[in-house]
Amino acid sequence: MDKDRDQKQAPVSQTMALTVVPERCSGCRTCEIVCAIHNNKVNNPKKARIRVLSLYPQPVIKMPIVCKQCKEPKCMESCPTDAIYIENGIVKINNNECMGCHACVISCPFGAIYVHADLNEPIKCELCGGDPQCVKACPKNALIYVPQHTLGQANRLIDTLKYAHLNEMQYFEHGVEKKLSYAQIETGGLRKDKIGQEHADEQ
Amino acid sequence: MSNDDGVRIKGGYLGKILHIDLSAGNSHVEEYDDDFALKYIGGRGFGAKIVMDNLKEGVKPLDPENVIVIAPGVLSGLYLPSSGKTSFVSISPLTGIYADSNMGGMFGVEIRQAGYDALVIRGRAKEFSYIWIDDDVVEIRDASKYKGKKSTETERELKEDLRDEEIKVATIGPAGENLVKFACVNSEWSRNAGRTGMGAIFGSKNIKAIAVRGTKDLPVYDMDKLVELSDNAYSTLHDHPMMKFWQEEGLMSVIDYANTLGIIPTRNFTDAHFEDADKINGEVMTSRHKIGDSACYSCPMACGNICLVKSGKYAGTVTEGPEYESAAMLGSNVGINDFSAVLRGNYLCDELGIDTITSGSMIATIIEGYERGLLTLEDVDGIALSWGDDSSIMQLLEKIANRDGIGDVLAGGPYGLIGKFPQLEPIISHVKGMDQSAYDARVGVTMALSYATSDIGAHHARAWPIAKELEVGADWTLEEKIDLVIYHQTVRPLFDMLGVCRLPWIELGFDENTYADFYTAATGVSVTLDDLLEKSRSLFNLTRAINIRMGVTRADDHPPERTFNDPIKTGPHAGEHMDRELFEHMLDIYYERRGWDKAGRPSKEQLRECGALGPLGL
Repeated sequence: MDKDRDQKQAPVSQTMALTVVPERCSGCRTCEIVCAIHNNKVNNPKKARIRVLSLYPQPVIKMPIVCKQCKEPKCMESCPTDAIYIENGIVKINNNECMGCHACVISCPFGAIYVHADLNEPIKCELCGGDPQCVKACPKNALIYVPQHTLGQANRLIDTLKYAHLNEMQYFEHGVEKKLSYAQIETGGLRKDKIGQEHADEQ
Repeated sequence: MSNDDGVRIKGGYLGKILHIDLSAGNSHVEEYDDDFALKYIGGRGFGAKIVMDNLKEGVKPLDPENVIVIAPGVLSGLYLPSSGKTSFVSISPLTGIYADSNMGGMFGVEIRQAGYDALVIRGRAKEFSYIWIDDDVVEIRDASKYKGKKSTETERELKEDLRDEEIKVATIGPAGENLVKFACVNSEWSRNAGRTGMGAIFGSKNIKAIAVRGTKDLPVYDMDKLVELSDNAYSTLHDHPMMKFWQEEGLMSVIDYANTLGIIPTRNFTDAHFEDADKINGEVMTSRHKIGDSACYSCPMACGNICLVKSGKYAGTVTEGPEYESAAMLGSNVGINDFSAVLRGNYLCDELGIDTITSGSMIATIIEGYERGLLTLEDVDGIALSWGDDSSIMQLLEKIANRDGIGDVLAGGPYGLIGKFPQLEPIISHVKGMDQSAYDARVGVTMALSYATSDIGAHHARAWPIAKELEVGADWTLEEKIDLVIYHQTVRPLFDMLGVCRLPWIELGFDENTYADFYTAATGVSVTLDDLLEKSRSLFNLTRAINIRMGVTRADDHPPERTFNDPIKTGPHAGEHMDRELFEHMLDIYYERRGWDKAGRPSKEQLRECGALGPLGL
């Protein structure tokens, strides 16, 4: 049993995910610069593994685009030389096997693999070996590195709050049924009308 | 860092300047030597020297012979905070003298990545064209399908036509094509080389836009050192207590600040305190309009605010900005107290390609002129102008861009307006043909001197000493105050020479000495801040020399007339105005401390040293 458990203990990179919150991104591209410097030792955002696509004026969005380390990567499927493989949950390219056909670049549904004229091989994020530099550098916290199992929690929370805000809760006061929306509680409706009074009663 | 010691540049600079001759339809790359780089540093420094060397007798700003230099700095694009600035340098159609205007965003970085420290554009294209720079490939291409198009529209279509979303585009709107003298060059939706009419220079050269794709590495001498310095710089800024607030409000926070200090332009500078400032301030923006942040290259401060008008007649307007200057000049200075209308004005200026500051100033002047009976209803095309009437103000912005009726007169800037209506001279606030920025010059003494002695006219970016004077300098001697102006005029241009933004220094107190360290790490040339400031002082002499050649005299070094004649009406500085004798006295001291003579001319030695002597010398 113990032995089995040990085997299931995944390396950090396999349990963590690099994810983006585009609404927070200001489009400053600091992530691109630090990525290129860290991974390629050059000051050239065009060699970065993460890029920001800015669209304006309508719709306005600044979208950092980076590999999601898919479990069943399209890039891996499409590679004719099997140069793409998964190691500790990170999708990697074996440059010795890669022939530079760019099939992976085209097949990635997110466009998260890049090309630069100086480099034969495509450019893709390998999570800086489990310590992504872009996340540390982002001045707006638009890039986050979290345990995979918490992905979606933010949406779950937002959806729950939305649901709750649209609903009312029922309560009884001196035997009379009353209703109060959750939104009212937040604006202090309950506190002013009820809680204060309760305190007065106590005194 | 004098090159007599055989100092060699080992990084930072690309060593190349791209010259494009539109008349001949060709281009060539100039490889400059280390001495040039070490003497002029880059950016605005390169631009001023190239403009100086190109001066010819009788050439007017909009003539093909005038050049425009687009020069990011030696630090542009490098890993350090806010390194996305680029300078546009030329002789201004607005003022007829030396001019530069800087732009944030990514455009300059892209030029550097294409392999050039600067672009020099001369001549005039035979057909309406745009310039396409794809690393080493330079083409002048037909732009007839973009004629008359607005800025964002042009940029979007160029990206689609060139099939690359990642290229950077600098373009003019219809105003630039129509040679409006304060037309701007726009990039990435709302980054503008706003002042001094650089868009009209584009128009005069028959070019609509420059599209650039650059893919090259930027050389750094000591990458480890740069990374160490920058990691520290970013974390210092990140931990600054004001950082969060700055990202939220950006420059819009200055509205409350300027109103509290009593220096906000109100109704054509007749007042310096706006009763409705709380309707156009940062809080209104963040709580009702802001939908996103926007930053220039490598900048953690993200002062750009993306705003949406959600209801009312301007509903659906999305714009980036306004910044303080735009909000004040299109808000309080024209009496508008509705932030939706300010946003609409900002949007129109960006799309049409006109400077928000000059536009606000010109419109405010004719509103006051009309209200005071200096202009008739017929003079203003039958539009019954009044303070805060946003419909007529929006109409005027369109008229300016299209040079329609009264708009054609306004499009000529302060000189154009005075030429047609000399009676407006006492009420238009300008220095050397450049209208005054959004800080009053009657409070304290330093702002008046800053505007008066600025080399491009009454622009705040040259020196903004008023905050320090009001906050800590009340008891300073006159000499100390004058030295403050000179210090600002020396340190501020340095940011443009290096191609970085000055806001981390101004707003978050970032240590300016660090820039010398950045320079050393990037270039391998060891410098101190004082070394760099010396080059900046020398640049100020150079631009002064250009201006003297263009006919500037001591008589031009004066703040707007209103500064002397009309006391402020309300607010904490009610009743204040500048004393004429005091000002002349200050000007004497200023010249003396600059090492200039009583007429404001640099010494022969200074001229030789700054590179202003030569075949065209004074």
